[in-house]
Amino acid sequence: MRANPAAAARLKRLPGSIASYTIFIAWTLITLVPLLWMGYSSFKSNEELTLDIYALPKALFDNRNDEYVVIPKTLNVILPYDPELDTRERLIIESTTIAPTRRMMVHFLVKDDLPAELAGLQPGDKLLVSQLPRAMQKDINRRTIWFNYSSAWNRGNLGSKFLNSILYAGVSTTLIVLLGLMMGFALGKMGYKKISLILAGLIGFGYLISNNSVIIPLFLLLSKLKLTDTHLGMILVYTAFGLPLSVMLSAQFIRGLPDSLIESAFMDGAGYFRMFFSIIMPMSVPVVTTVAIISALGIWNEFLLVLVLATSELTKSLPVGVFSFSSLQSTQLGWQLAALVIAVVPVMLVYFIFNKRLTQGVVAGAVKG
Amino acid sequence: MRGRNGRNLPVYIGMVVPALSIFLFIVAYPIIYSFWLSLTDFNPNRGGEWNFVGIAQYAKMFNDPNFWHALKNNLIVVGVSVFGQIPLGFGLAYILFRKHVRASGFFQSMLFLPHFLSTIVIGILWKRMFQADGPVSTLLQYLSGDPSAQFTLMLRAETVMYPIGFALIWIYTGLYMVIFLANLQKLDKEMLEAAQIDGASEFQIFMRVVVPALSGTILVSSILAIAGSLRGFDLIYSITTQGLQRNNAMVLPIFMYQTAFQDFNNDSRFAYGAAISNAIILISVSLIIISNIIGKRLKAGEEN
Repeated sequence: MRANPAAAARLKRLPGSIASYTIFIAWTLITLVPLLWMGYSSFKSNEELTLDIYALPKALFDNRNDEYVVIPKTLNVILPYDPELDTRERLIIESTTIAPTRRMMVHFLVKDDLPAELAGLQPGDKLLVSQLPRAMQKDINRRTIWFNYSSAWNRGNLGSKFLNSILYAGVSTTLIVLLGLMMGFALGKMGYKKISLILAGLIGFGYLISNNSVIIPLFLLLSKLKLTDTHLGMILVYTAFGLPLSVMLSAQFIRGLPDSLIESAFMDGAGYFRMFFSIIMPMSVPVVTTVAIISALGIWNEFLLVLVLATSELTKSLPVGVFSFSSLQSTQLGWQLAALVIAVVPVMLVYFIFNKRLTQGVVAGAVKG
Repeated sequence: MRGRNGRNLPVYIGMVVPALSIFLFIVAYPIIYSFWLSLTDFNPNRGGEWNFVGIAQYAKMFNDPNFWHALKNNLIVVGVSVFGQIPLGFGLAYILFRKHVRASGFFQSMLFLPHFLSTIVIGILWKRMFQADGPVSTLLQYLSGDPSAQFTLMLRAETVMYPIGFALIWIYTGLYMVIFLANLQKLDKEMLEAAQIDGASEFQIFMRVVVPALSGTILVSSILAIAGSLRGFDLIYSITTQGLQRNNAMVLPIFMYQTAFQDFNNDSRFAYGAAISNAIILISVSLIIISNIIGKRLKAGEEN
């Protein structure tokens, strides 16, 4: 024992280490397994999902020998082209294995590109994917693999919602950072101590108020001004609720900058405007990053405001789009999972790329706020 | 160009006004509006006719069993946050801090991940996981060998808060872990080493040295958890299905939302909803004050 105290100490720590690893590995698995399940299940067909909920996806990938049936051009078949502009004759085929008879997995093959024996097929006749020309096989192969994703994207109208989310997060975050920094500079470095203290207290109080505690008066106010269901209205609201944190962190940070910096800028004859943009802004990068991260993520994930204030498809953001799409009873489970993945992947990418900065930013905002 | 100490009133006003006016218009004014609204019988079905009714909306709220039901569930959520997420987060942070595991950066980023994802997506995902024919039921069937085993906690009123509490811990524990870890790393290392040399056990060091040193962080985290749990809407809204299940798991923000924006026949829906919103703010402010007092008492007790 006395000969090797280090080894003894290590031995003493061993049970603790084993317990610690067990806890962390278990917790990591509980965190990751649902997300991984969501990820790989989003490539499964509905039939597979009901058959074995844990099995890996197969049907959509292994589609070389899928069987299709020729169907007539009935009303429940939605044409992906305008029949008046594009008058080429097409053979409409539907899968007999993936969502059969539900007009979901349908392809429209231009008859001129088909060999004669296939072009002459009648509704009810069957064919295999492997019988088709190479180019068509490739196309069908790709569309089968991404079947859940393209269905979710198109039927849930997620494209425009994705753009709205980017618009709200981007514009509001820019305004939050810029206006917050301006006010933070005034409160932190421009004197008028008493007014500044009152203003800081007022804004600080706003930090306690979340947007859902005033959603009713906000709704009435914006309806009166005809700002509900507009991009401008959403951006204004997001900006207003992001400002308290931004102003508080900026004022605190700018107050800590050395006064001599501003003095020397004045000596050089710089005006307030130039000083703000060429000295204060570049020096405030740490606080700007923190504020931008917290604001942008919060807005990207925000739900209730859009649920209440956006009534038309034009102004809805991704979380609301995904929610309303995924709560439809008629929607296929695979599509719902694909919609969830679409909403989560951008955030995950950002998270894993900027991990350190994000973590620091959230901690700084949470503790100081 | 400039006055004493960099003073310049026009520039000061120019810097302050854009942010301040948006804030006053969108945040401050609605607070007053909400207070006024809750004291009237504002009727949106009759073009906004209103009379001053004093505290009638609040009296109605106190007699509404739905309010007490939602409040009870909300306090469960607060309890899960303060007595679940915070101690667990603290414990996990302490393990990382004492270097009992390697790859702490990896574990940290994994456990923190759910906090960044949309709560709505997480709610829908766990709803799927917990469904009667979902992955959790299937797992139960594998483990128990009983092919008819089902996960039914989401379906019964008495048990619906358990899976929801689990999901809340799943989302937020990582946040508290990261906050505690950041503050642990600021601790004076020599103090810990001195305690170790004096022969204090790991547990003693934790209880006698670390916890008192971090009491401020514990208080701030509790305030964060209380405020966050009382206003939390997204998770419970998306993990439940509209109707009986959502009513079973009702919390105050959902009660407010359903009253104001789904109950169109209710003439006083906005006034009553505003009363509920104000109650949420009052409850969260009073809980925060109480935890501040408890925090100060504990600190004073230690010093004696």
